[in-house]
Amino acid sequence: MDNIYLPYLAKIEEIRDEAPDVRSFKLVFEDPALRDSFEFKTGQFGLYSAFGLGESTFCIASSPTRKGYIQCTFRRTGRVTGGLAQLSVGDTMGFRGPYGNWFPVDDWKGKDIVFIAGGICLPTVRSVIWNVLDRRQHFGNITIVYGARTVADLVYKDELKGWDERSDITPSRPWTPARDPGMEGQGRVRADRIGRGRAFCEEHGGRDLHISKFVLNSLLKLGFDEGSVYT
Amino acid sequence: MNPARLSGRMKTVSMADRTLKKEDLGKLIDSVRAKGGRFVAPALLARQVVFRSVKSAEEVATGYILARNSFKEFLFPQTEVIAEFSMNKDSVGLKGVEVDAPETVVFGARPCEAASLKGLRTLFTWDFVDEFYTKREDKTVVITVGCTSGDEACFCTTVDLSPESTEGADVYLRETEDNGYTVKGLTEKGKKFLDTHDAVFTSGAAKERPLFKPETVPAVDLKRVSERLKDRAHYDDPVWAKLTMKCIGCGACTFVCPTCRCFDITDEGTAFEGERRKNWDSCQYDAFTLHASGHNPREHQPQRWRNRFMCKFNFYPEKFSSKGCVGCGRCIRVCPVRLDITEVMQEFSK
Ligand SMILES: Cc1cc2nc3c(=O)[nH]c(=O)nc-3n(C[C@H](O)[C@H](O)[C@H](O)COP(=O)(O)OP(=O)(O)OC[C@H]3O[C@@H](n4cnc5c(N)ncnc54)[C@H](O)[C@@H]3O)c2cc1C
Ligand code: SF4
Ligand code: SF4
Repeated sequence: MDNIYLPYLAKIEEIRDEAPDVRSFKLVFEDPALRDSFEFKTGQFGLYSAFGLGESTFCIASSPTRKGYIQCTFRRTGRVTGGLAQLSVGDTMGFRGPYGNWFPVDDWKGKDIVFIAGGICLPTVRSVIWNVLDRRQHFGNITIVYGARTVADLVYKDELKGWDERSDITPSRPWTPARDPGMEGQGRVRADRIGRGRAFCEEHGGRDLHISKFVLNSLLKLGFDEGSVYT
Repeated sequence: MNPARLSGRMKTVSMADRTLKKEDLGKLIDSVRAKGGRFVAPALLARQVVFRSVKSAEEVATGYILARNSFKEFLFPQTEVIAEFSMNKDSVGLKGVEVDAPETVVFGARPCEAASLKGLRTLFTWDFVDEFYTKREDKTVVITVGCTSGDEACFCTTVDLSPESTEGADVYLRETEDNGYTVKGLTEKGKKFLDTHDAVFTSGAAKERPLFKPETVPAVDLKRVSERLKDRAHYDDPVWAKLTMKCIGCGACTFVCPTCRCFDITDEGTAFEGERRKNWDSCQYDAFTLHASGHNPREHQPQRWRNRFMCKFNFYPEKFSSKGCVGCGRCIRVCPVRLDITEVMQEFSK
């Protein structure tokens, strides 16, 4: 019988703490054949299991341009995520997927791209960012707009710094409402736009259509064409 | 509800090919069971008529309007094991389980609820094929019985169905004046079933009881409902709160509904071994859409109710070209706060 709910087994190869209660795993499938054959598209998600507790949905936070492993970043909020947070390097967990929609990144070749994300919603967008950065020559100007409630809540802090330092990305430093003293420099992107960035990100997770109106409206005001906004 | 709606009676000519005498129902049950099949029929349990597996004709309820539960639970159980696992220090052992899909006869379903199968099938074969569902449905023969009575909650005719509808049924029965049935095979599966158990059936004419036909709910226009839902401007309409604020989010309506099919997957067991289960879930629960950030896009009950209504009258028809609501009225009968979906239909017909 073809059991679509049966997960693949994967070993945790690396653990990184990103923010309070937010953690990233680098996962390698136990089956070597699967390591090579596994494919996904940027923006897709999977179900990650902590055996004995159940499974939770997270996006695949790594880019399909990086082969041999996948990454996920999750916030500890309940039963399953609490169980996952207790696992260590070398432990086995489950993954099934990929599922869901993806971003049509190849359609954007030659175009300028603005990425907007907030807080724990960066993981999905990160997959797109690295997909584009790994094939940088195919795309136009790249701007990354990202914010969180506090500096501590920013995820991928090292990568944010790296992106900020790259000359081929328009810098817009992470913005937090309190203008935390820890953040040197001031983002070039106006606060209201980043605020919309958070709304955008909430929409992405919940697929509740009315929230995206805020981001969309401000992008339209800035002259973006509705058909060129992807969520 | 308007009691006048109970008065409708239909006279129709049936094209039955066989008859089943009252005293032969037991033989049919025996015949199915002798071949290793399970016979599911409305039967009393805790003083309620519910679909359950029966062994004899004496157990089969008569005079019921509609079983309290939907027969979907024999195709998509409330809970089922999908995998087993064991854990030790260095590794995890994982084993998928085979679906338990016995040959099944669902007897005495109503024409409205049988119409839910199309939507369930489409969902469970959309993108990925869920064999836990499809294998069970493939092995199930659905025998509907045209209704000769109804209650205030029945509204099949408002959603373009009737006691004569045959969508989703394999065999269609009509009650006869001598408490038996006329029998008509509809699908290949149904005809084969009748041939297999041919000895149980008789031929010849029988006088059929008139069908009961609920009157349509006044001022409901399904096309208008669908149009109004398409434009998401209604999302923030205070009318949702006005109509549905009293909902206590118990989820009962979704569990008895023949078309609702949301589920969640969880593990049960110890730190060493256990099983993974697929369990019914409900969009009426507050944690259903709760985000990891703590934000909930459907924070208030009316928003969850809006989703349920959208699912039935917008998502299902648009995405699956199938009915999201078959008018069985179960959600109306079961609701502890008397929330009536037809009132919401009326509101969105304006
Ligand atoms: C398409 C999609 C992509 C997603 N991507 C990500 C991602 O990349 N990263 C990520 O972190 N999350 C993501 N999520 C959310 C994630 O799936 C949930 O946070 C996770 O499944 C929660 O599982 P759990 O078993 O730990 O929580 P459960 O125990 O099932 O709890 C469910 C919800 O209840 C709340 N809750 C639990 N316990 C309590 C408590 N004591 N008090 C108050 N509230 C409580 C939590 O907010 C939790 O979300 C995504 C969700 C979807 C649908
Ligand atoms: S919504 Fe109510 S009336 Fe419609 S099919 Fe479901 S239970 Fe029956
Ligand atoms: S049965 Fe009634 S109270 Fe319970 S969730 Fe459904 S509408 Fe709300």
